[in-house]
Amino acid sequence: MAVASVAVDAATETMVPGSEDEAIAAFGDGVGVVVVGGGTIVVPDLTYRRIRPSKTLMLGHAGLAGIETDGAQVTIGAMTPVQDLVDLPAPLGPCAANVADLEIRSQGTVGGNLCAGDAPEAPRGDLQGAFLALGATVRFAADGEVAEEPLEDFLGEHSGRLVLGVSFDEPAAGAFAGLDRPHTHDYTALAVSGAKGNDGTLRLAVTGAGSWGARLPSAEAAAGDPEAAGKAALQDVSPRDDALASAWYRTKVLPALVRRVLTEMGASS
Amino acid sequence: MNLTVNGAACEIDGSALTPLLDVLRDELGVTGPKAGCHQGGCGACTVLVDGEPRRSCLMPAGYAEGAEIVTVEGIGAPEDLAPIQQAFVHYYAAQCGFCTSGMLLAAQAYLARGGSDDHESIQEALAGHVCRCTGYAKIIDAVAAAARGDSFDLTTTAVGKHTTMATGGAE
Amino acid sequence: MKVVGARIPRYDGVAHVTGRTTYVDDVRVPGTLWAKALRSPVHHAAVTKLDTSAAESMPGVHAVITWEDVPLLEYGHLSALGIPADEPLLAKDEVRYLGQPIAVVAAESEQLAAAAVAAIDVAFEERPALLDVRAAFDPDAPKIHQWGNWYPHFENEMDRRQIRKGDIDRAFEDADTIVQGVYRPAAIEHAPIETQVCQVVPEPDGRLTIYSCTQALYFSLGVVAAHLQQPLNRFKLVGGTTGGGFGGKVDTATETVTCLLVLKANRPVKWRWTREEEFLCSSTRAPWHMELATAVTRDGWILGQKMLTLHDAGAYARFSPYGLTKHSFHHTGAYSIPHLHFDGYVVFTNRVPTTAMRGFGVTSVSFAVETHMNRIANLLGLDPIEIRLKNANRIGDTSPNGVSYTDPSTVDTLKAIADAIGHELPADYRTMTNEPRSGELLPEHLVAQVGSTEGH
Repeated sequence: MAVASVAVDAATETMVPGSEDEAIAAFGDGVGVVVVGGGTIVVPDLTYRRIRPSKTLMLGHAGLAGIETDGAQVTIGAMTPVQDLVDLPAPLGPCAANVADLEIRSQGTVGGNLCAGDAPEAPRGDLQGAFLALGATVRFAADGEVAEEPLEDFLGEHSGRLVLGVSFDEPAAGAFAGLDRPHTHDYTALAVSGAKGNDGTLRLAVTGAGSWGARLPSAEAAAGDPEAAGKAALQDVSPRDDALASAWYRTKVLPALVRRVLTEMGASS
Repeated sequence: MNLTVNGAACEIDGSALTPLLDVLRDELGVTGPKAGCHQGGCGACTVLVDGEPRRSCLMPAGYAEGAEIVTVEGIGAPEDLAPIQQAFVHYYAAQCGFCTSGMLLAAQAYLARGGSDDHESIQEALAGHVCRCTGYAKIIDAVAAAARGDSFDLTTTAVGKHTTMATGGAE
Repeated sequence: MKVVGARIPRYDGVAHVTGRTTYVDDVRVPGTLWAKALRSPVHHAAVTKLDTSAAESMPGVHAVITWEDVPLLEYGHLSALGIPADEPLLAKDEVRYLGQPIAVVAAESEQLAAAAVAAIDVAFEERPALLDVRAAFDPDAPKIHQWGNWYPHFENEMDRRQIRKGDIDRAFEDADTIVQGVYRPAAIEHAPIETQVCQVVPEPDGRLTIYSCTQALYFSLGVVAAHLQQPLNRFKLVGGTTGGGFGGKVDTATETVTCLLVLKANRPVKWRWTREEEFLCSSTRAPWHMELATAVTRDGWILGQKMLTLHDAGAYARFSPYGLTKHSFHHTGAYSIPHLHFDGYVVFTNRVPTTAMRGFGVTSVSFAVETHMNRIANLLGLDPIEIRLKNANRIGDTSPNGVSYTDPSTVDTLKAIADAIGHELPADYRTMTNEPRSGELLPEHLVAQVGSTEGH
């Protein structure tokens, strides 16, 4: 019996790989393939007919979820639900806890979040800032070959590449500061993540100030003085007006978030 | 694809991408979960998947394969209401009732994982669920009461019969 | 009192918590076709081409309707109250708001219906849009409504609601200062969790059964019957279960179109709006523009008020003249202001037509008047609750349109508020009641406005 309100074109081929190898093979060069992680982004796009793919790759049964620790290195599989990150240390833990609500966090995935740019109303890769601050590396497949790349280079360049996982070294200190959301179904209008490596490297990153998460190199250079770093951060961003906040508001708040993150990290080291 | 819905084994046709919500409502005639937005923003579609609350409008049916799905119809019947349902009736936590299915299941899962009557914890658990009628206070009071294990005299607030609309015939 | 304060059953309480309440989309009828609408993508345009033939010939499409299928195209929501019709059920020749329905398809699935909508050949010639009520009065404003840019059919063909009471010029002369303010609450979307939805079933006896989420069954019945030019008993309206309305489900937004599809396709039809349609195209509470200028004395008496209200009706009148009328009767809020000069206009813009929402016409005025009272208190350096208590309606005070208040509760409410927030009031304020004004509470400027002092 035909499902009367079925959103999906009968013509859409669904591929459901049962392992990482099968997923890599099914993805191929990714041309014409829409990847479905948890479904939180793709399924509404299908329902509202914003996308009408000829092929979808559903990763729910490919065994790509899980968090592994090997010494200082943490590896997170692409299909790990955001909810599994909430108890990790800052910045990642509090960043993840600030995403949506329990149910959506349990369905949305790390891989999906790293490949998420703009929604119609706002940027939506809420985790990208935390991973950037952690100096994360992305493991991905393209055309059957598996490779790694710093997340900074990968963001926005994921076409033709299937995210398999992301890894980083446990930081010595970390902090996260984000704007409160009016409701859990809103993305975070602006958030700053910071992390200090065991080698002393300090990274700061922002989400909500552009389509993708980005580092704040001017703020990093002035990190010794949180006040100055906050002001310097404005040089690194060109925020936009969107449904969540105006560019003006974001420029007012960014220095405060940077200050908070640096102060918190300074206090904990 | 095979799922268990409220204890009954079901075999479903159609694409693995079809949202579970539409499979439940359209193919299986289980209309407890509601379509409030079809984009995960309101919580009216929430069902329990292996005991965990999930937005069924976002879940491809293929991801529910092999899972035990419980909808609001599966947690209690008029003659045998679950404690959380009793609490909702007693505290008037449903007005139009459209958000109620999702609220109840999120609350049920919260109680199942040992949730307390602390209002902030309850709000956190139900944070994804929008209600336009009640202002939430009665919902939170009801969940808190259920968390405490309060019992109610329902003779003053529940009635034996309830309204249904006559349909043209069963699917 | 047997019911107030007592626990009584909700007749639908158990049904709600067991998932047994049957909302319109839960009504499942075999053979139902699904509807999708072609909607205007622009604010204001001429429709230069509308060709539905490609959609009609698609497999799985059973009916496509346009304005040509509607027996009585324009029927005013408040025709019964003498407010003439101005809105076509489906757009003919032009579109006046983004989202306005132009054609509707009934097909075997929503997906097929959406594909058919995309296949309709439609072309537009955009026109300048009027989106700011203030601009409506400019001599070179685009003319966007057949009646002109504001509603002209109040009684005696007045183009506004007008209230003149007392002597406003005298009040302004006698005042110690004039306090001005402009208040512009924005539109509010009702956002019920259940979107607009309707299911219609053709019965063997030729009647149509309409499952509707309307808040106003008999009203909707009349609107459907009028558009379709059928007797009322042709329809059986099944309703009473709504997933939230708040005033947004009184416009009979889906029932008539769904009936027309059923008549053309001879199959049951369901039309359910997506959340995007609900936000984009369903009627909202109106935006308002209100300008107040209040004549006040140093010791906090309000002598008079000038007010200009522009009510944004959106593209068509619907209930707006009624909302503005209520607004005008209440435009002094909870306070007795003897000298009044009020003009209110129902202004058309190229926005979604606005409608009722809880406190229709009056919440706008409450917002403006109360905010303005705080402004007055701040400017005069007076206590914001005391200034309200002084000017509060009492038995015998009269409303803007001369109705005597028989038992206004303003005084008691203000005292309860002060109590609840721990705001100390001086003794003479603490003992105030709503008894008719006398002594110090009846200064000269309030004498003439006092009407009948028969209390409850």
